[in-house]
Amino acid sequence: MTRILALIWPTLRTAPASHAGHAAHRAPADAPAEAESSVDVPAMLDRLDDLSPRVEAVDRGVALVDVTGLGPSLGDERRIATRAVAMVREVATLPVRAGVGENRWLAVLAARLALTARPDPAVSVAFHAFPDGLEATRAVLASLPLVLLPADPDTRQRFALFGLTTMGELAALPRSAVGAQFGVSGERLQALARGEDPRPLTPRRRPERLTRRVTFEPPVEGVGGTALVLRRACAELCDALKLRHLAPGRAILTIDLEDAPALTVELTFPEPALEPDWIARLLIGRMEAASRTRHLRATSPEGEEEARVVAIGLAFDRLSDPAARQLPAFQAQAGRWEELRWSLERLATRFGEGRLWRASTERPNASLPERQAGLRSVGGDREDET
Amino acid sequence: MVGEAVAEPSPSNRGALPTGFGALDEALRTGGWPRGSLALLDAPRGAGATSLAIGSLAAAQEAGGIVAWIDAAGCLDAATAERLGIQLEWLLVVKPTSPLEAVELAGWLARSGLVDAMALDLGESPDQAGGNGLVAGLDRLGKLLVRGRSVALLLTGEWLRAAVARVAAVRLALEREAWLAVGRDLVGQRIRATVTRHRWALAGETASLDLWFGEGRRIDALLPPLAVPREAAPALAPVAVATAVAETEPEEQPDLRILSA
Repeated sequence: MTRILALIWPTLRTAPASHAGHAAHRAPADAPAEAESSVDVPAMLDRLDDLSPRVEAVDRGVALVDVTGLGPSLGDERRIATRAVAMVREVATLPVRAGVGENRWLAVLAARLALTARPDPAVSVAFHAFPDGLEATRAVLASLPLVLLPADPDTRQRFALFGLTTMGELAALPRSAVGAQFGVSGERLQALARGEDPRPLTPRRRPERLTRRVTFEPPVEGVGGTALVLRRACAELCDALKLRHLAPGRAILTIDLEDAPALTVELTFPEPALEPDWIARLLIGRMEAASRTRHLRATSPEGEEEARVVAIGLAFDRLSDPAARQLPAFQAQAGRWEELRWSLERLATRFGEGRLWRASTERPNASLPERQAGLRSVGGDREDET
Repeated sequence: MVGEAVAEPSPSNRGALPTGFGALDEALRTGGWPRGSLALLDAPRGAGATSLAIGSLAAAQEAGGIVAWIDAAGCLDAATAERLGIQLEWLLVVKPTSPLEAVELAGWLARSGLVDAMALDLGESPDQAGGNGLVAGLDRLGKLLVRGRSVALLLTGEWLRAAVARVAAVRLALEREAWLAVGRDLVGQRIRATVTRHRWALAGETASLDLWFGEGRRIDALLPPLAVPREAAPALAPVAVATAVAETEPEEQPDLRILSA
């Protein structure tokens, strides 16, 4: 017997308000758009990977986790759901709701129904679960309104014309009669009303990430003092990848400081790169620039001194085969520009930022010619506009 | 083998980048700027060196190349460059802090082999010049270019021209022959380009180039037949004289209105 846990958070586009007949079943108001955009969904899924090896991201606001057989080690389903929600909330503080069912449809439906459990003060997480067994589940489904089915407006209207209002009424009809009146989509909706969903959970492939962490005992004075160790860490990770004919597309450096918040430097390469020396140099350049921006200096009785580094963590991800890289076609310059960008990264490190620019037509209809075109800085991990 | 010459790069195996002007391509005898060359555009101010450089970069882009403008002089206007035929999408603009750094950056780009043509505008003022260091840097740039396939067009003032002349593989002297006018409107200028030095071909050829203001090489087809060459140094209007005297340099000031410049 399969048990699937569904987690939904406010980015989920549920049925429009006009279709929601029962206030209790209506999804809560969506969070502001800026909150939506700031949710780090991959990081949330990465956390859920620690709970179960089978995690599927259905949508930006829906994740499914196969929790079959986790009971003996993690407790009952409510406890598992509470744990999953806590994991997700470590990444983003969202009103996550959880539901458990025998298949993906029932799990998501349970999560939508979880709002009804919210008023209970003893429950910390909005949670709802359908009972084990199809017969018991059907008994629960029978009283639920048809508006919960993912039907188009025309079908809903036709259901209403036939006097069908609950899932039980639709489920009780002969399948052939539903097919004759509502077609294939009607048959599929009837199957859902009966609690049947043949779609399997398709676990995502966890993106691979190579990490190396070095702790300094005693802590090192200033971020500059970590350069040698960083170079060695880059070389080790590159050697490991080279054996597998892979190259990283991104490097993330985390610097844990003694008396200051951790510093994170992210470097996205123009193309997969296996050049440890240059990766280290680019990271060191970014790291020093970031530390200058953050004014990482601690005040001691002797005066101001640089913050002390406790540990550094280096991660390589977006791994791919550099030989299989696909270059943009149709424009002769496009592929070569991608190669040039890598050289520009090096130039920016060697000569400093603000040297390399790319022009573009910003406002072709501007009255003054000098305002028609603008320059964007290149050679860094961002492109600034002037 | 005895008697066999050392394999000197020749035009046949180097290839060439079109200059954007057919007459100049012929005058160079190499079908354009020989690849791997440092070319000095030896021209007084206003004699069309910048227009010629932009035209050459545009032609290189049309041939599928990526080009760079190393702007030590700080004079490049992207909108004007675009009007003169440059595709901004494939133009890298480099803004060095000094002429010496400009030469060094040019060397890096030449070494990358990914930039087909670059214009190196060192400007007029010798204030920031590194003296002999700059000439040595240009000498080194010339050698780097020979090993690669990029072309560098050097724009510089009088202060550096003589020193650079001996390190440039190609030297092109530009001189204004005439203004081109339609009625009382100046629409361009006719330039005489003389190849005074060429490392891989016979020097001495000349070409006459028509540079059109504002539109570069993409000119209205009706314009060339209508344009009439005028005196290279037209008389100054009385008002213009009064203002021009106050200026430091009595530059040629036509009494005509310039169209779309």
